[in-house]
Amino acid sequence: MNPPGSPPRDFWIAQGENLRIAVDALRANKLRSILTVIGNVVAVMSVIAVVAIIDGLNTYVSDKILQQGLGVLTIDKYGFITSEEEYREAEKRRDLGLDDMQALASRMQLAEQVVAQASRRRIVRAGSTELQGVDITGTTDGYEQVSKLEVEQGRHLDASDVERRRPVCVIGSEVAEKLFPRTDPLGANLRAGGHELRVVGVFAQRGNVLGTSQDNIVYVPLGQFYKMFGSRADLTILVRGREGMDPARVQDEARVVLRAQRHVPLGKPDDFGMTTAETFQSFWKQITGGIFAGTIALVAISLVVGGIVIMNIMLVAVTERTREIGIRKALGARRSDLTMQFLSEAVVLSLFGGFVGVLAGIAIAFLIRAATPLPAAIQPWSIGLSLAVACSVGLFFGVYPATRAARLDPIVALRQE
Amino acid sequence: MSVVNEPSGASTPSTDGMLIDIRDVRKIYIMGTNEVHALDGVDLQVRKGEYLAIMGPSGSGKSTLMNMIGCLDTPTSGSYKLRGTEIREREDDELARIRNQEIGFIFQTFNLLPRADALHNVELPLIYAGKPAKERRARAKEMLDLVGLGDRTHHRPNELSGGQRQRVAIARALVNNPSIVLADEPTGNLDTKTGQEIMALLDEINRKGNTVILVTHEEEVAALAHRVVRLRDGLIETDQRRAPSAGPRA
Repeated sequence: MNPPGSPPRDFWIAQGENLRIAVDALRANKLRSILTVIGNVVAVMSVIAVVAIIDGLNTYVSDKILQQGLGVLTIDKYGFITSEEEYREAEKRRDLGLDDMQALASRMQLAEQVVAQASRRRIVRAGSTELQGVDITGTTDGYEQVSKLEVEQGRHLDASDVERRRPVCVIGSEVAEKLFPRTDPLGANLRAGGHELRVVGVFAQRGNVLGTSQDNIVYVPLGQFYKMFGSRADLTILVRGREGMDPARVQDEARVVLRAQRHVPLGKPDDFGMTTAETFQSFWKQITGGIFAGTIALVAISLVVGGIVIMNIMLVAVTERTREIGIRKALGARRSDLTMQFLSEAVVLSLFGGFVGVLAGIAIAFLIRAATPLPAAIQPWSIGLSLAVACSVGLFFGVYPATRAARLDPIVALRQE
Repeated sequence: MSVVNEPSGASTPSTDGMLIDIRDVRKIYIMGTNEVHALDGVDLQVRKGEYLAIMGPSGSGKSTLMNMIGCLDTPTSGSYKLRGTEIREREDDELARIRNQEIGFIFQTFNLLPRADALHNVELPLIYAGKPAKERRARAKEMLDLVGLGDRTHHRPNELSGGQRQRVAIARALVNNPSIVLADEPTGNLDTKTGQEIMALLDEINRKGNTVILVTHEEEVAALAHRVVRLRDGLIETDQRRAPSAGPRA
């Protein structure tokens, strides 16, 4: 309606008036406004909360579950299993043994460190104190380079411990606290798997993952583990590539070496599984992507419903204020002024819902953070996005009522009671 | 439409100095199968500074004529020139601009915005004229002072008496310095005494040089005008001048 060229100065002057009218109308009909924007509130709240939760889950997973770190290749009988069928198939495979580990260690060019581990969950005792469900891991030396484990007191297990199968162990902080609450754990003895073990080190605390303690652990030399639980244990082999090496190349080399070692015929699938933190991450992203897509669908429905409610209430507002429209037209308001007035009102209404939704979403995220171990974090972009969407909903669904208002005949409108 | 740099009604200056020049104007409404001739060939000329009353029974076409003069409506045929500008066949938005610049409306039911205070109500025409807030407020305050409501600027309409409301409406009508003050039954909702005060105010406004057009069916009210035009069945029945002078007075 404006001629091309510089924007007219009075546009913004009328816009100030429009915002004032919009906020006035909102305040005059508080309850109605709140009921009108419930759709928007739900939509925006879901976006903020779900984004915060997914982000929290992501942080959690990367921080805790992937503690062994990026760039480490995990090789075991199973690999990354996503179905029961795969599991049954994998169970039939031959266990990984120490010979496999030695083959990798001696033949791989790209590996910095190769470690073999086996573990059992058993009771551990010291004197009359007993601790259940402790993760006992037999390992070769160098494990501290593939898993993020640090000793707080004492020392790590070393090559000679492993070679001589010494009855020594490094214990997790929780084991240390519970078995030796008042005494120095270093040099003390504990019993596990029918063997007496001397504590040479205590790991630094790692915290909980999904409610399970990561500090309820005992590390022993692999040979000692064999003495305790038999030498038929199925091993997990951890390979760390050289610094800056492409993980895919490290994985390829490990595969070639291991297939040769285990005599896998050409054209047959691997009889072992390889996973990296990256595999796990990409699977994880797939899951959260699914959650996210579901949320988007829910949000889209809420927004459409919310938008229609807003449109409906704006039509009511136009009818209620027909006389006001007539007065404004008589005083010189143009169609564009009235279009903008009612559009502004729809947008302000919709944004109001958006803001309430943002607050509700933040509240939910904080609640989750306080009540669960999830570090749910509000993403600024999710706030920006939801408010932008709320704004667009107001614009889109406000057009029709605003056009109706703008097209009213002033004479008819002024006659309205 | 930008009105900032465009002086109002600046197309062609009126050759004969007439503010309103209506010639053979007809307005025909279609109601179902009937054609209603609300105006059936009206001629009317009004000079600047006149004080004119339009009278007539209901259905005589006086409301239609008032809407026409106020640029709320356009003629079906004929010509209406306001300050030399032809109003017929104007776009909606152009009519809005002309109403904003040239017409000050005063209604029987005051037609103030209920949620806005007196000052804001008076500001409205200036908002649509694109005047900045500071200037608007100063000008609106000035007008409220003029109608004797300088101490009621922040009262809402429901906190004001009928007479005070009509004064706010008069301040609003005058605030943008229009060519015509168009009053439709301005005393219709007021008691006699308040009505007289309002009429005195209109008289004073006219004395200051404003053109006032009054639509009424009350003889007493019309008697205060200097010229009375009577309508019947869409035609001007009589057009009488009562006062000695119709030109602008200092």
